[in-house]
Amino acid sequence: MIVEGTYTFAGPREVVWNLLLDPDVLAMTMPGTATIKRVSDTRYEGKMGVGIGPITAAEFDVVITMTDRVEPERYAMQIEGRGRFGFTRGHAAVTLSADGAATIMHYQADLMVGGKIAAVGQRLLDSVSRMLLKQGLEAMSAELDRRLAKGSG
Amino acid sequence: MKPAAFEYRRPASTEEALALLAEHPGAKPLAGGQSLIPAMNFRLAAPEMLIDLNAIPGLSGVTPLSGGGLRIGAMTRHRALETGSAVAGLAPLLAETMPFIAHPQIRNRGTLGGSLAHADPAAELPAVMVALGATLVLTSRAGERRLPAGEFFTGLFATALAPGELVTAIELPAPPARSGSAFIELARRHGDYALVGVAVAVSLGTAGTCAGASVALFSVGEGPVVSPGAAAVLQGAEPGPEAIRAAAAAIDRDIDPPSDIHASAAYRRNLAQVLTGRALTRAFERARISASPTEQ
Repeated sequence: MIVEGTYTFAGPREVVWNLLLDPDVLAMTMPGTATIKRVSDTRYEGKMGVGIGPITAAEFDVVITMTDRVEPERYAMQIEGRGRFGFTRGHAAVTLSADGAATIMHYQADLMVGGKIAAVGQRLLDSVSRMLLKQGLEAMSAELDRRLAKGSG
Repeated sequence: MKPAAFEYRRPASTEEALALLAEHPGAKPLAGGQSLIPAMNFRLAAPEMLIDLNAIPGLSGVTPLSGGGLRIGAMTRHRALETGSAVAGLAPLLAETMPFIAHPQIRNRGTLGGSLAHADPAAELPAVMVALGATLVLTSRAGERRLPAGEFFTGLFATALAPGELVTAIELPAPPARSGSAFIELARRHGDYALVGVAVAVSLGTAGTCAGASVALFSVGEGPVVSPGAAAVLQGAEPGPEAIRAAAAAIDRDIDPPSDIHASAAYRRNLAQVLTGRALTRAFERARISASPTEQ
């Protein structure tokens, strides 16, 4: 499954960069995320729980490994998730470009989803991932506004 | 496959069901069970309690409203809507849709209220309700409220139902004079989830121009998707091939279809326009026939 798109943040690139790599912000903005920890500069570990409609929150252990990190321009990551309902594995690339006072984020992810969730929910994977991504980015954008208003960055 | 253990209650009245629902936030109401039970058997869903609504008298049945519309009890089976004469006469769009919903065995159990509350993005009935301008009657211990179908569906498997609330009935307005409707979906096999589907309802003014059009699609977004673009193009227009083509093209801006292993988003986009064009052609044809009863 390929997930691709662009999103515009109303803030400078350095602030957006810090926001994207801050485990606390990630935990707060990713829908359903319970916890996320920075184990090292390049490795994040966390637990995610996502429930949609009649589906009981499906918990996943997630490991994200950062590669190819060029601050504040781009980074790539390997994503691995494992849970009772299935697994996901893949990689994602994020680039940030400044556009005046705003920052344009381009993301592309190629994810493999397997197990029960893929067997039963195949037709919904695209819709669900897009919905979660949209919620996450909107929450992150709101957090950015909050930080900029506070002047902390 | 067997579900995880759950408690089972079978209340005999709506009041009793609402009380149980309010007391047990982890409970799920059971209507026809055609989506919930498979999810439980796969252990994707594990509600602590099922509140079976099947023994409650008065939750099912179709009754004509004094204003000319229909009131459909939430527990009315698909099969009853498929074969009922009141539905065929006053809500032909609904009757036309029913055979496309899954298979006869499922339609014998599945209910209108259950399908709407489940809000599957590929389900036919949410789109039909939106196209017909239906009103949902939602009941909780605090009382009853009425919500237009267009405001009920809020996202992927998400509705405006509050905790402790049940869909108890659906009200359909009487079709306006000189009106027509049509339903079309394309599925890989009959009974499968549709790749794209569309429900349209139109009406003609005395001069033969379009007095109103409602186009609702499914399987192209997070829920039923109304196309304000198509409605705007058709309003007041001469409903010929040109206006229909323009209206079908206008839905492109209103939909955001997903990709899956069966069809790409681009394919769904094209299909949505083709099916909308065909459905509108059919609906206007029916509206013209209803406008001149002598030709029937």
